[in-house]
Amino acid sequence: MVESNLPSKYAYALRRYDFSFFGTMIVIFIIGILNLYSATHATNDKALLDLYKTQAIWFCISIVVGVSISFIRPKTFFRYSYVVYGINVILLVLVLLIGVKVLGAKRWLDLGVLRLQPSEMMKISIVLVLARWYSKFNPEVDVGLKEMIIPGILALVPAVLVIVEPDLGTGLVLLLIFFIITFYRRLKWKTIILLVILGIATSGVMYKFGLKEYQRQRVITFLDPWGDAQGYGYNAIQSEIAIGSGQLFGKGFKKSSQASLSYLPENHTDFVFSIFNEEHGLFGSLVLITMYVVLIMRFIWLATSVVNFYDAVVSIGLMSIFFWHTFINMSMVTGLLPIVGIPLPLMSYGGSSLLTFGICCGIATSISNSRNLF
Amino acid sequence: MFDHEALIKLHRARANLIANIILLLFSLVLARLWYLQVYKGKQLLNYSLQNRLRREEIEAPRGMFFDRNGSLIVNNVPRFDAAVIPQYLQNKKETIRKLAEILEMPEDAVYKAMAKKSNIASYKSVVVKKNISRKEVAIIETQNDELPGVAVEMVVSREYVDREVGAHLLGYISEISSSQLPRYRSRDNFDYKLGDFIGQSGLEQQLDRIIRGQNGYEFVEVDAMGRRKIRVKSEDDFFKEIKSKPAIPGPNVMLTIDRDMQLSAFNALQGREGAAVAVDVNTGEILTMVSVPSFDPSSFSKGLSNNYWGVLSNDPRRPLRDRVIQEHYSPGSTFKPLVAVAALEEGEAEEKGEIGCTGQFPMGRKVFHCWKKHGHGSVDIYRSIRESCDTFYYRLGKRMDINTIAHYVKSMGLGHKTGIALPREVAGLMPDREWKKKRNGEDWMLGETLSCVIGQSYVLATPLQLALAYAVIANGGKLYRPYVVKRIFTNSGKTIKTFSPELLSKVNLSPRTVQIVQEALRQVVNDPKGTAYYYGHGRGIALAGKTGTAQVIKMSAEKLFAKCEETEYKYRHHGLFIGYAPYDDPKIAVAAIVEHGCHGASAATPVVVDIVATYLKKFYPELHQKYLQEEKSKGILFRAVPTIDSSKLQEEDEDTVLLEDEDAGHGGSSSTSQNLIDGVLGNKKLTPTLPVPGINSSVREEDDDQQNENGGD
Repeated sequence: MVESNLPSKYAYALRRYDFSFFGTMIVIFIIGILNLYSATHATNDKALLDLYKTQAIWFCISIVVGVSISFIRPKTFFRYSYVVYGINVILLVLVLLIGVKVLGAKRWLDLGVLRLQPSEMMKISIVLVLARWYSKFNPEVDVGLKEMIIPGILALVPAVLVIVEPDLGTGLVLLLIFFIITFYRRLKWKTIILLVILGIATSGVMYKFGLKEYQRQRVITFLDPWGDAQGYGYNAIQSEIAIGSGQLFGKGFKKSSQASLSYLPENHTDFVFSIFNEEHGLFGSLVLITMYVVLIMRFIWLATSVVNFYDAVVSIGLMSIFFWHTFINMSMVTGLLPIVGIPLPLMSYGGSSLLTFGICCGIATSISNSRNLF
Repeated sequence: MFDHEALIKLHRARANLIANIILLLFSLVLARLWYLQVYKGKQLLNYSLQNRLRREEIEAPRGMFFDRNGSLIVNNVPRFDAAVIPQYLQNKKETIRKLAEILEMPEDAVYKAMAKKSNIASYKSVVVKKNISRKEVAIIETQNDELPGVAVEMVVSREYVDREVGAHLLGYISEISSSQLPRYRSRDNFDYKLGDFIGQSGLEQQLDRIIRGQNGYEFVEVDAMGRRKIRVKSEDDFFKEIKSKPAIPGPNVMLTIDRDMQLSAFNALQGREGAAVAVDVNTGEILTMVSVPSFDPSSFSKGLSNNYWGVLSNDPRRPLRDRVIQEHYSPGSTFKPLVAVAALEEGEAEEKGEIGCTGQFPMGRKVFHCWKKHGHGSVDIYRSIRESCDTFYYRLGKRMDINTIAHYVKSMGLGHKTGIALPREVAGLMPDREWKKKRNGEDWMLGETLSCVIGQSYVLATPLQLALAYAVIANGGKLYRPYVVKRIFTNSGKTIKTFSPELLSKVNLSPRTVQIVQEALRQVVNDPKGTAYYYGHGRGIALAGKTGTAQVIKMSAEKLFAKCEETEYKYRHHGLFIGYAPYDDPKIAVAAIVEHGCHGASAATPVVVDIVATYLKKFYPELHQKYLQEEKSKGILFRAVPTIDSSKLQEEDEDTVLLEDEDAGHGGSSSTSQNLIDGVLGNKKLTPTLPVPGINSSVREEDDDQQNENGGD
């Protein structure tokens, strides 16, 4: 009886499996890896030449991990939200204590075989823990300052731990994720206005006392790209030249002069979008941005169509991870925001960031499937 | 629990709002893209096609150093480097062949330099030869057209006017190493880059952040060959708002050092291994600080040779180490006046009290020897210092507790860092019961006190500490923090900071004690029986002080009484002289040590005499004349070139004796100062390096490598 039932059960499962997240993800990745190849093919540095291969391997790993996660029931995420969060916070503390220091920043834990970057995983952990708290604690009441205290602490603790690593960009992303989730959880407008005022005030103080010299320099650079002392302004200018020179249709694949002549530093990480624009122009980026928007809207749509409120909050949280990375990266290379070192999802080189987005899609798929699969 | 469907419905409005905001924000990005790609597109395309705008760093000159009278001792001078820019290199082989020919260097070396930097962007220049001659500069500049991609770069390099003189104090600068980079970045919270020059020792290191200044930059346009082009500013210039930022030079530093005294100290020490330091007894200002053998700090910033540091750090004479503050020695007999101060204060010694010295002092089963084999006879406190009688101090050591002695000695500045603002100062060592217990769990033994009171055994001090301790005697009990920077000021002469004397502690010494010890120290130099009379009198400098000899290794009694000059160089004693002048109104205290100089009087005293003479002649010429007249009227004349009569030396100089060899097995101190230096200086644990009492340690080789912690990183 059971045995004969199995094939049809799998077939059913497969028919009902939501491919939309991984599908979009794969499309963007293919654009990304072609772009990465184009950005690095002209270099004479051997390490850079093989980057796209490493990136492909990492992507396969991310898909495998993501798909595996998609078979875990959302209930399980719910149950282990605090545990995952707790372990992740401990890992962040360990990073500060025994982490590996690379170029002045302690961000990695050396496990012998591989290096773990707990701040990456924290983006997901924070979504899970906030979703659990908000879905359990008076979910029908609008959120004011009082309701924000506990989730605020849950977000601030890891954010501060990450900022002192120091990794200001990731720390701010954690806070921004918190903000979107809280906003979704019906944060009162009155409180929003209050927070904005408070935020402006503290950022002033932070700028004066909290930022390191090079971080302050980046803010100055943003405000006056022609007058910086550290060279970041040069990056910003070169990035704008690269983007602008692409005009409407771009110079074509592998034709980026800015990248191949190394005018654009770090063109395989933070500045991939500039190269993409140089080669494919405004129309190319219109297509690319549409892909990102489709993926992001898919998350929001998921949030409105689930049956469990926890799942809805998680969907919004995962969406915010994608959104903030995409938006901040695009804004910084086009000169709308200061350069903070946030990668473009699925396009920038980097294994741990790929893995994060793979897991995001895995969780979203699991939630989507749970509506009719389990 | 909750009605999930209702909840999701309740929050749908917010989800929609978020979606709209996100669409709006991405529209903003698209609008910005449109602005760059369509509105400014043509212009930016032009720039990308001829993107030759380079941002060039302008290095800020480091602050200069001046001596206390304003004479320049560290300067900045331009230097020229030959470089290639790989991106613009055309027919590489031919160009490099020509370049190598001009620079008179093998082609391989050029390729090697380029291979080393192959991982940096190809538009960045690679220096192939540093510090090229003016002639080479001229050739390269005139053959510009035939050498595409070759450039001459001007760099500001550091010139140390007196080269080796005081190099340890001034320090040197060199490129930040890749291992220093991350450490210093987090330490200083400053974005160092590879290729940055930073101070690596001495004042260059200590004041690095202050005197570095702020680098500037300028944007220059270069042509297709990588050569600079004059930028034409026009209306549609995308870079029209471009601004250059001039470099802000680092502030200058006026030191407390006197250049003439530096030179005379260096000349007096030249060819030897040793150190000299002079400190103003009433302020703590350091007037002279010299260590030999030395090195030429200019060579580091000129980048003449990569292995200069290697050669220096492998030199067994350890020229990179500042012997004034980074090396500590057994003070030998120069320690006795400090013990005398303690004894007088504690009432254990009196002005009139006399003891008999037979040359031997039995202690339990051991016999401690005076350096004078057959004894001094009747000795009072004046004679004990004047003629450096060991027996007198053995007796004091027997009566006094080591902790009491340590208390006084430490309050006079020994056994802890002096707090001078220079890197890598060592603390020296003044042992007490607790220290010994902590170190190897054993109780203090009386025999050890006896070795300590004559400045041997565990007692270790840097020349600076000894100078300060004598300054305390000279000024009646004031311990100042020594300092070398007087003033920091900008190029326009505006003072940024002035440094003033800092009194660390006031030692409560009775005027009588000070008077007795000062008189005894005066007799050392000015009484015909004093150990330093022969070398210190008749110079019109009113010197007071104490000679000392520090054993390098433990020796049998037989060897001890053998002539030092006849033993192998590395086993010869260190000679010390610590003193101050003038004795009737002390102004400066000076310490000098000459390693393996055998005798304090013959080796170290002349160094101090030269320094003090230079000082008095320069700053108090009328005082100097007065003292000269006084000595002349007394018929005391200095023989200009003293002939070294070794039989006389033996009599005039003193040695200190530890234990006889056969007694060493019965406990007591048998450690050598060299072992202790290893233990305290290196990061090694103390215990294993020290010989276990009870085992007779044979002559030990000096363990130099372990101590070399200086410089370079």
